[in-house]
Amino acid sequence: METVLTYAIWFFVGSALVSMVRVVIGPSVADRMTGLNMVSAQVLAVLVLIAVRDGRSTYLDVALVYDIFGFIGTLAMARYFGGRTT
Amino acid sequence: MTIAAIVFLGLGVVFGVIGNLGVLILPDVYTRLQASSTASTTSVFSALVAAMLTVGWHPMTGKIAVIALFFFVTSPIAAHIIARYAWQREIVPWRRSFAERRQLREHHDD
Amino acid sequence: MQSVTRWNLVRIAVTTVYLWVGWVLFTWSVAPRTLALGLIHSSVVALLTYPVFVEHDEAARRSHVPRLQFLAVYLLLLVFQMYVASFRVLWQIVRGRINPGVVHFRTRLRSDIARVVLTNSITLTPGTITLLLDDDHLIVHWLDARTTHSRYAWTLVAQPFERLLKRIWV
Repeated sequence: METVLTYAIWFFVGSALVSMVRVVIGPSVADRMTGLNMVSAQVLAVLVLIAVRDGRSTYLDVALVYDIFGFIGTLAMARYFGGRTT
Repeated sequence: MTIAAIVFLGLGVVFGVIGNLGVLILPDVYTRLQASSTASTTSVFSALVAAMLTVGWHPMTGKIAVIALFFFVTSPIAAHIIARYAWQREIVPWRRSFAERRQLREHHDD
Repeated sequence: MQSVTRWNLVRIAVTTVYLWVGWVLFTWSVAPRTLALGLIHSSVVALLTYPVFVEHDEAARRSHVPRLQFLAVYLLLLVFQMYVASFRVLWQIVRGRINPGVVHFRTRLRSDIARVVLTNSITLTPGTITLLLDDDHLIVHWLDARTTHSRYAWTLVAQPFERLLKRIWV
């Protein structure tokens, strides 16, 4: 099981790197936000899988806070870059 | 238990690949958001379920359940925030041309 | 005791219970000291933040209480729908046969929380994303727009969710 988890962790790390391509080349702000949303979700998966593999529950606290901050980051960016606020 | 966990990890990997592919090749913001919502939600949710199956009954199960629940609530809200932002900035959704759509519909009816 | 005071106490109590359940799940221990510490902290946080979580008006309180047996069925249905729709979107992306479009329709749900849950469910199901929710008017971006007719789109997109949501929050 450990090796499978290790492969999954490496897969999600690589996948997050591929998602960064959209953040770099995205023509508009919304594209970049989409990419960032995906990156943060996959990093969350990486953190949880690392916690399970090593048996350290500290990573889970980090994962929860990371999730909250990813969400608040999206909200703050949508507010900051304008759009009508109704 | 282990086999179920491996199946869910495999599902997560498949959806992750397709989501990344979709985000790279689809034509505009909204369709990319569809692919990203597929990828990030379903693949990460599968990974969390696999993690929960791996640890079994353990102090970590509750934490992973809380994280999964929170992710389940916030992920669609984040997607909706981005879509609403794009809609309010009046970004026009991409559509197929009329001829292509008619061809697709005929194909659909076959 | 005045009714306003009583309602405020109920608001604080409800917030405390929710926070405390989160605490117990997250610490995953039933040692009395941990439980007591969690109770103290969640009541302090509830005292500070209860106006955010529970509504000011008492009148609509019946529409905020979910019926739990239907809620469990609904969550199972949601996860199942998520996987089915994911496979459909996967197939569409691989084949490159997408036909995106925007549809408008009206929902028939009355309570606010049911509408919000409907919006989230539509967004969570891959293939559809809610662009705007304005009272009962929904604008949905659809990856495989088979129709632009409002009533028919409602049947295809929202009806499976609404049938259950109507029973959860009356």
